[in-house]
Amino acid sequence: MHIMVVLRLVADLGGDIEIAHGGKDIDREWVDLKLNEFDDHALEEAIFLKEIVGAKVTAIMIDGDGVERSLQTALARGADEARRIAVDDTDGPISSRAMTPVVAAAAAELGADLVLTGVQSPEDIFGQLAPSLGAVLGWPQASAVSSVKPDDGSTITVQQEYSGGVSAAIRLPLPAVLGVQTASRPIRYVTGSKLRQAMAEEIPRIEATAAVAMPDVEIVELRVPDEAGGAVMLDGDADAIADEILRLLADRALLQVC
Amino acid sequence: MISQPAMRFDQPGRRLQGLLAAIGHRRLIRNRYSGILHAMIFVSFFVLATAIVQSFGSVLFPGFSLAPVGGDTWIALAQDVFAIVMLTGVALAAWQRLVLRPARFKGSNNTDANIIYILIVIIVVTMLLEAAFAIVAGSGASAIWRPVSATLGAAFTAMRMSPEFASQAHDVFYWLHVGAILAFVVYIPGSKHRHMLLAAPNVYFRSLKPIGQIPRPTPEVPPPPLAAATDFAWKDMLDTYACTECGRCQAACPAYASGLPLSPKLLITDLRDHFVTQPADAPIVGPTISEDTLWACTTCRACMEVCPVHIEHLPKIIGMRRTLIENGNIQPMLQTALSNLQRVGNSMGTASKMRARWTKGLPFNVKDARKEPVDVLWFVGDFASYDPRVQEISRTVALLFQRAGVDFGILYDSERNSGNDVHRVGEEGLFETLARENIATLSACTFKRIVTTDPHSLNALAQEYSAFGATYDVVHYSAFLLELVEAGRLPLGPTERRTVTYHDPCYLGRYNGGFDAPRALIARAGCAINEMGRCRENSFCCGAGGGRIWQDDSAMTERPSENRIREALALGDAELFVVACPKDSVMYGAAIDALGVSDRIKVVDLAELVMSAAETHS
Ligand code: SF4
Ligand code: SF4
Repeated sequence: MHIMVVLRLVADLGGDIEIAHGGKDIDREWVDLKLNEFDDHALEEAIFLKEIVGAKVTAIMIDGDGVERSLQTALARGADEARRIAVDDTDGPISSRAMTPVVAAAAAELGADLVLTGVQSPEDIFGQLAPSLGAVLGWPQASAVSSVKPDDGSTITVQQEYSGGVSAAIRLPLPAVLGVQTASRPIRYVTGSKLRQAMAEEIPRIEATAAVAMPDVEIVELRVPDEAGGAVMLDGDADAIADEILRLLADRALLQVC
Repeated sequence: MISQPAMRFDQPGRRLQGLLAAIGHRRLIRNRYSGILHAMIFVSFFVLATAIVQSFGSVLFPGFSLAPVGGDTWIALAQDVFAIVMLTGVALAAWQRLVLRPARFKGSNNTDANIIYILIVIIVVTMLLEAAFAIVAGSGASAIWRPVSATLGAAFTAMRMSPEFASQAHDVFYWLHVGAILAFVVYIPGSKHRHMLLAAPNVYFRSLKPIGQIPRPTPEVPPPPLAAATDFAWKDMLDTYACTECGRCQAACPAYASGLPLSPKLLITDLRDHFVTQPADAPIVGPTISEDTLWACTTCRACMEVCPVHIEHLPKIIGMRRTLIENGNIQPMLQTALSNLQRVGNSMGTASKMRARWTKGLPFNVKDARKEPVDVLWFVGDFASYDPRVQEISRTVALLFQRAGVDFGILYDSERNSGNDVHRVGEEGLFETLARENIATLSACTFKRIVTTDPHSLNALAQEYSAFGATYDVVHYSAFLLELVEAGRLPLGPTERRTVTYHDPCYLGRYNGGFDAPRALIARAGCAINEMGRCRENSFCCGAGGGRIWQDDSAMTERPSENRIREALALGDAELFVVACPKDSVMYGAAIDALGVSDRIKVVDLAELVMSAAETHS
């Protein structure tokens, strides 16, 4: 089995996010990039599959700042190969939807029979990548996957998470595309020494063989959520606070005090 | 058993000097009662060894006698007197072990100790009786030179003992004496009292490396993980055999005090038992020394500071942690911190671009040392940069520097965690990455020296980066501020005299000898210091070091920081708890809140204290 994992760098929300001039994107000058957390799980699941059933794992990313290091990390984690795909310079980062044809072409060229990626990302909150990849490739697809089990070689069984703790086991024929929510095991720590070894490896850069999809939606405006006002801090000892709560509830007719 | 080499044959003069200090009981005497009793037994042992020489010499070599060199005169007198000293020492020891029962003996082999007391008493008493019977029988040294034996002899005579009977009794006690000595000699090697033989070589072969360094074989080769006996050096093994099980290390250990499953004493004796009973390649980490034990250590070094035989606990703990890291046995919180450090160079996981955000609250721009030369390069550190509670202190330091006209700059988002604690967590590769990144950044800057507010960064920059060929002139802000004050550049005004106490941070004090500058500054700021019992070399760790700050402390029965605040409160009159490490502000602030004693004592950073004194200067 040849598993291709699609990784994406996203804005690190550990920093203060500000809206860029123009109001259509965040100000990327002051944020760090990090690997999308769900993609991290996709990578872990791929390496887990490699360890239990034997598979070749290739990690790919659309080339850009910080990509080489992320792919070196993927190698240190246990990926066999890594590729960064060069696309024509576009304005700003490429959305998950836009990268679909490029990634699909790479999957076909690498001869992957399973494509794993994160179920969503902070910049692809609806989780478009896996479904649209499935559509372009014409492969079956499942999202919100929390574990993958190969069956006889031609099919896999995945667990799909629903809300409320319900999950379903779904069988898909290979090749397939999966949007991974959590890996079957916690993400392993990769030691600094393994990382240092991987840093010495150069990641091959290949040209995209398909064009980036033109966006069919446009961001009109980006805003930080309105501060929700109205919070009241209560001071005083426990009795005073209890009285105050009671009064507030009564005032709002949420409670009848008799 | 195969073991790794250790270079411990250099500098014989210095080694001997340390050995003499140990013979002088320098460390032992810190604990007055046991120090004195040990000295009594120790000295008596050497004096009474002459009696052993005499007993054995006379049978093995007919005609042998110590008489020509004073065996019947002054040596006899010394033996008699020191027999009493020895018995008193043993009595004090037994009283301590059986009645006083200090907690440090918990887990030690007490039966072993009691057997030795009994053997010593038998040896000494038989010696005295043998001499007493000799006096009654009219042979041996004259009564004047054996006051104790003579008194016993006089008692026997008073009981109408005949010289013939005494002569026979003398022979019986002679053989009892010899038998007891033989039993002692046979017993010693298998007991903790083998320290009588091994303590001296262990002290002689102690590490003479700077204490803030984890030795690296070469810049390219990191120190290896310690997984099985074969990975340990011969000195590590000697350490474990030399342990006296005195428990001084255990009594000083903050991890032990907090109820975590780490006793440095048991760590050493467990390793010893493993070396003795297990195959050389049997895994140690896990079966013998548990993961939780290894992660409990704050690397405060209190254990090594007090160990009378200079046993090196920490290199073993850190070496075994390297095994845990290599095998991926890392607790979730620690893993998050390490992953953050890999990703953004700080343990909080906050964007590196946010590192210098704290400077925004200053009325001036802090120079970017990457872009222009500065006199002083300030290495700020993670907590001082990112923790909102400490950022305020960082701004105070910046304002003090500005006040004194210091030309200083920082590295902005190029600064990385110094790696000091990463190194002690056992993450060699990450330490190397962080260190090399900082070294590369620093080498592109022009500055005269480095100042840091963080003792952990101080240790890394001053002691550890030299392993990669980078040496700097680094000072802690306590020493730097003192310099500014003394040079008249930072005048301090009159302040109301307050009584404070001061906590020595492990990596400033024990590791880098920075004991006096903070105290001098506190005095300059007009405060009187009431020292806690555990101060200077014996300071008690706040519990944050060695990567502990990145771990869960819910298994603790009492946090070390709370234990420490209680110690400060017990002084009675200390209004302020002065700290000189950013982590301490966080740790002790939380401890005071947890104990609900914020009305009785306040944590204040040295910089804040100095600032309040500077502000009163007009
Ligand atoms: S270094 Fe400190 S915490 Fe670690 S074992 Fe020694 S005394 Fe205990
Ligand atoms: S390691 Fe040192 S301090 Fe600790 S019990 Fe052994 S001899 Fe005593």
